[in-house]
Amino acid sequence: MHPTTLMYTSSLLLMFAVLLYPLLVTFTSLPLNNDWASSHAKTAVKSAFLISLAPLSLFLSTGMEAVTSSWTWMVTTTLDITLSFKFDHYSIIFIPIALYVTWSILEFATWYMHSDPLMNRFFKYLLTFLVAMLILVSANNLFQLFIGWEGVGIMSFLLIGWWHGRADANTAALQAVLYNRVGDIGLILGMAWLATNVNSWDIQQMFILSKDLDMTLPLLGLILAATGKSAQFGLHPWLPAAMEGPTPVSALLHSSTMVVAGIFLLIRMSPLMENNQTALTLCLCLGALTTMFTATCALTQNDIKKIVAFSTSSQLGLMMVTIGLNQPQLAFLHICTHAFFKAMLFLCSGSVIHSLNDEQDIRKMGGLHHLAPFTSSCLTVGSLALTGAPFLAGFFSKDAIIEALNTSHVNAWALTLTLIATSFTAIYSLRVIFFVTMGTPRFLPLSPINENNPAVINPLKRLAWGSIFGGLLVMLNINLFKTPVLTMPAELKLAALAVSVLGLLTALELATLTSKQFKVTPLRTPHHFSTSLGFVPAIIHRQIPQLSLLLGQKIASQMVDQTWLEKTGPKAIANATTPLASATSNMQQGLIKTYLTLFLMTLVLVTLISAT
Amino acid sequence: MNPFILSILLLSLGLGTTLTFASSHWLLAWMGLEISTLAIIPLMSQHHHPRAVEATTKYFITQAAAAALILFASTTNAWITGQWDINFDLHFFPASMLTMALALKMGLAPVHFWLPEVLQGLDLTTGLILSTWQKLAPFILMCQIMPVNSSLITFLGVTSTLVGGWGGLNQTQLRKILAYSSIAHLGWMILVMQFNQQLALLALIIYIPMTFSTFMIFKTNSSTTVNTLAASWAKTPALTAITPMILLSLGGLPPLSGFMPKWMILQELTKQDIPLTASIAALSALLSLYFYLRVSYAMTLTISPNNLNATTPWRLQTTASTLPLAISATISAMLLPLAPATLALLSL
Repeated sequence: MHPTTLMYTSSLLLMFAVLLYPLLVTFTSLPLNNDWASSHAKTAVKSAFLISLAPLSLFLSTGMEAVTSSWTWMVTTTLDITLSFKFDHYSIIFIPIALYVTWSILEFATWYMHSDPLMNRFFKYLLTFLVAMLILVSANNLFQLFIGWEGVGIMSFLLIGWWHGRADANTAALQAVLYNRVGDIGLILGMAWLATNVNSWDIQQMFILSKDLDMTLPLLGLILAATGKSAQFGLHPWLPAAMEGPTPVSALLHSSTMVVAGIFLLIRMSPLMENNQTALTLCLCLGALTTMFTATCALTQNDIKKIVAFSTSSQLGLMMVTIGLNQPQLAFLHICTHAFFKAMLFLCSGSVIHSLNDEQDIRKMGGLHHLAPFTSSCLTVGSLALTGAPFLAGFFSKDAIIEALNTSHVNAWALTLTLIATSFTAIYSLRVIFFVTMGTPRFLPLSPINENNPAVINPLKRLAWGSIFGGLLVMLNINLFKTPVLTMPAELKLAALAVSVLGLLTALELATLTSKQFKVTPLRTPHHFSTSLGFVPAIIHRQIPQLSLLLGQKIASQMVDQTWLEKTGPKAIANATTPLASATSNMQQGLIKTYLTLFLMTLVLVTLISAT
Repeated sequence: MNPFILSILLLSLGLGTTLTFASSHWLLAWMGLEISTLAIIPLMSQHHHPRAVEATTKYFITQAAAAALILFASTTNAWITGQWDINFDLHFFPASMLTMALALKMGLAPVHFWLPEVLQGLDLTTGLILSTWQKLAPFILMCQIMPVNSSLITFLGVTSTLVGGWGGLNQTQLRKILAYSSIAHLGWMILVMQFNQQLALLALIIYIPMTFSTFMIFKTNSSTTVNTLAASWAKTPALTAITPMILLSLGGLPPLSGFMPKWMILQELTKQDIPLTASIAALSALLSLYFYLRVSYAMTLTISPNNLNATTPWRLQTTASTLPLAISATISAMLLPLAPATLALLSL
């Protein structure tokens, strides 16, 4: 084997071994020591991150990609399924970033979940999730990807419903599973189509063999899968609801890693989508709609985690837009940079929440700028990175996307929505910072504000470094596959920045209105739309169960029990036979003349008929 | 009744039917029918109460009408074809008249109306004779004039089975139930008669022990309604247990002997490529089965309450002869395995 490939595969194997070892330890019946979480789990992830830097550096110096097929799992007459790993620049760059972010989150979680008696199980779940995510990312065939896909879905369910005594948490976990399942239908549809038409689930084989085929159907399936997993409009309500889980869960799953799995799938399959205008347009419009809608919903939320969740959703929409622009690599870049600052935003929110004694409403925070300076600084840095402040992490990816959007032949409506959503990003980010860090405190006096724990500081510091330099580092070391358009009018070049600044100024103006009365009778309708999340959950979550239950009642009770087993079965026979029986026995009137007359008539009829 | 008169009447009854059996001349056949009619009339009215007399009168009028028509038809046939022999085929015009007349004699729908009322007015023994013996002579004549006017025969057959089924559903009197049962069974016999007379004969030969058994059972319990039959568990427990077998055999349920004719008939009808008729006949058998089942439910499957004194009769020995009932019950319940032998026996 070529030494580079050897390095890649052995690193991955070592990574998996290092990550799986703590999990396997938990399957023995020995009791875990109390700091198993920090001594075993977090250390494992840290080691895995350090190990993953080796293939990363090798890739950065040689630019070599590899595919390894290890073991033939199933052989059928037409389809082979092998264990095969793809080390292309997507997975080699993403794995270290994911491990870095996970390491920071796990360290944070040792502080956040400190008082939880089942903390070791929590870490076990997070580790399992991480393993599943790595399987998903490094998969070279759709079967392996599906294993990872389902794995992250299940772990998401278990982790969202961590506090399962809370009804809302259970509902949210169920929502996550159901919406993901709807997306899984799309993935399975795509897989089935590919298996039957292209006869392979291997990525390389699929790309070659599908050159001349009409790929619309499987691509629609994959887009449906991405809609489910990455919370695009239509299957989006689960993501804000997933904030019922603990903050580390939100940071890891629902901002950096799991929700990008859908986008990642589309990035992997982008060569299939290149030539299919329908799929691209669908992605574009769906992404634009998502980003706009969720940004609108984020404007009026009062729960800090929900705002960040909607922000995640909005960024996912942006990634979908990028895929719709046929720029998968820019979407991937945004995934990488977004992981840093979004995880940091969540960790900051977690720190704030714990400091204010589990208070999540931003209307009851304030003035933390003085009381938790490090957290507020990180919050600010993260928000600036999110809005695309120049030369922070988010700028490199986001600005590139907006530039690509502006300079391509694109749906004007998608363009408008995306730009408006970008400005909304600035608005709600400012809203968070204003309510949380600025002004005077609105919380109770005896709040245990303490951010001096290294378990809090170090993760935030690491992620802050990532949010500042991450974009630059990634951008410097990769070669863009598609040459970006470098010349454009100045207005277009500055469009993203201008729009964000505009949003910022608007938000500042609006923020200062909190203590003034601008209008005597304010216009409430847009506010209601935003607060009710576009009425989508209220309508969909009631209608669909009602229809299902009604259908169930109709089928079981009305159709089967009442109709088939009563009315059309026994009762119909009884109702049909009774009149006939009464008629036959009532014909016996006892008059012999009648009988003989009938006899005569029958005789005459018979004779006449037989004569003809 | 005076034993001499009784013996004259019974012997005349036998004579009449035998005469019809043995004859090859239409006039002689008609004479046999008349003798048997005249012989049974006094038997019917022996009890002299109004209901019996009414039954007798109705029976006489209908049978006389039928016999007159038989005479007319055979005379017309002699006029047209020039001969009186039964073995020669009839001309179509007297054939249909003769068919209708024999239908009236036997009690086939749609000219069945006299049968329930006549049977209701008779005591069980005479009713038994009416149901079994009196069917033989017209049946044989019917067999001998086949094949005639297929659609008419099929119409008579299907209507009889349906009327037998529907009519019996609304009855609580046992004799009327048996009357409709007779109509239904005759319908089955007629259906197959145009194709295979041996099967029709088989049906009749199986039907006679079954009806005989039922009449004897009712006579043993001296019950004429379903309600009185419900007290039979205390009088004759063994008979009460056997009765459902007989009744279900009447209904044509395998593995009892009553299944044999129905099965063979359905097979023959299917072979003759009239599956629709076969299906209708089979479905109408379900109707009959329901009221047989109802009778057996009231009699056997439930134990009706009664006062203390009425629970003792079974302890006493009976003076009535049980041998005939035993034989006929065995035949009507257990003959199915001997089906091949029975069929071979009838391949005359």
